[in-house]
Amino acid sequence: MGSYYDIDAILTDAQKVPCTFELTVPGLGYIDGNIGGDMKQGSKVELPLWLGEMLAISQNLSTSSLVTLDLPSALSPRVLNALKADSRTVDLRALAPYFYNLGARILELYEEEEMVEVLSEAFKLRAAVIADQAHNPRGALGDGADFLRGLDENERQLFRAAHDSAKSVRSWIAEMTKK
Amino acid sequence: MALPLPPGLTPPEIAFLCEMELVTVIPRQRLEGLDLLGGPTPTLIPPHRSNIPLWFALLLKRQRRANIAPPPWLHPTSLAAILQFETEKSTDAFSPPPRLPPSADGSNTTSPPFLPFSVVDAAADALPYHWLELGEILLEAAPDDFEEPDQVRRLMRDLREVRMAKLRAGVDVLDAGGGFKMNGVGGMEVAEGRAFIGGVIDGLRKIGASREQQRRDREREERENGYTATTDDDDDDQMDM
Repeated sequence: MGSYYDIDAILTDAQKVPCTFELTVPGLGYIDGNIGGDMKQGSKVELPLWLGEMLAISQNLSTSSLVTLDLPSALSPRVLNALKADSRTVDLRALAPYFYNLGARILELYEEEEMVEVLSEAFKLRAAVIADQAHNPRGALGDGADFLRGLDENERQLFRAAHDSAKSVRSWIAEMTKK
Repeated sequence: MALPLPPGLTPPEIAFLCEMELVTVIPRQRLEGLDLLGGPTPTLIPPHRSNIPLWFALLLKRQRRANIAPPPWLHPTSLAAILQFETEKSTDAFSPPPRLPPSADGSNTTSPPFLPFSVVDAAADALPYHWLELGEILLEAAPDDFEEPDQVRRLMRDLREVRMAKLRAGVDVLDAGGGFKMNGVGGMEVAEGRAFIGGVIDGLRKIGASREQQRRDREREERENGYTATTDDDDDDQMDM
């Protein structure tokens, strides 16, 4: 995985995932807005990924784990179906700013062969559009604006990379002509 | 931590490497051969044509001591033919690179810029590795040596657009561990596509990391249970790490 100081990895881990408490925890009600109360068994809470993961996989003295991790809404079957149908129209940024990183982290915990396929295909298809937009000087302003707004953080870096490399070649040519 | 520069060469660095390509000049003044670190240059006797490195040719051109003869593939008709080939005949692949000269023992390890792909008697029907850089530099430094510089410039731009579109379309066949055939692609085009293609492969690898891990675990289990994995898979494992 990424470096300890990788901001993107930290922000990925900070994304919320739905968790269900399997045990009643005294005094933990403040997470759910119930200050001073207990966390009831079976209550659903949104926890950051790092915390939810820790609690879900840690096996304490009793055999059951403290919480179960549910699939975040960003990776629900509804979203995957939309990606399968036409990945270019999905606003990934609204679903999760680090959509693909979140997907990769969830895939570490769940075995979802199909999700890998869907995410890879969507990433590839969208990458082709990103490349076209990055080389189109009016891309960020014209009709591509909606698509570009829906890019997740990975795709934004991709857009920047494609745009910058095209720009550096153009500026080399321009600089040579100036001399 | 990360280096401030992105991996790979920047366009000015590629143009610098391109200046080692041999080009043909028609000298206007006599110049004795020079013993340079890169090897001796031929004695320039007008009006005999000689092949000298591009940087030297540019210097002489700037001092009006020589004219540069553009390589045959920079002629409008050959550029138009290559453009037609790229757009009509091979719509997904790049036009093939120039053929390597035959070598005595069959093991030719010489690569551009040490092959004379841009001298006046080079092949006219193929774009060499440094085609984009060399073309731009020559059009800039010696437009008066071209018969129709504007048309060459237009064709170069068309070719570049067509080829960059192909490079981008190649994303469809990319895979986390797969290869990508880019025969005939130029140095500057590699520089332009590197960041994007590398980014796509990195992203795919990240998404597929869990599947890869499972596959590896399964194989290890199989091996421990007595099944012998084929040596092929072993190689794969080494590569992926």
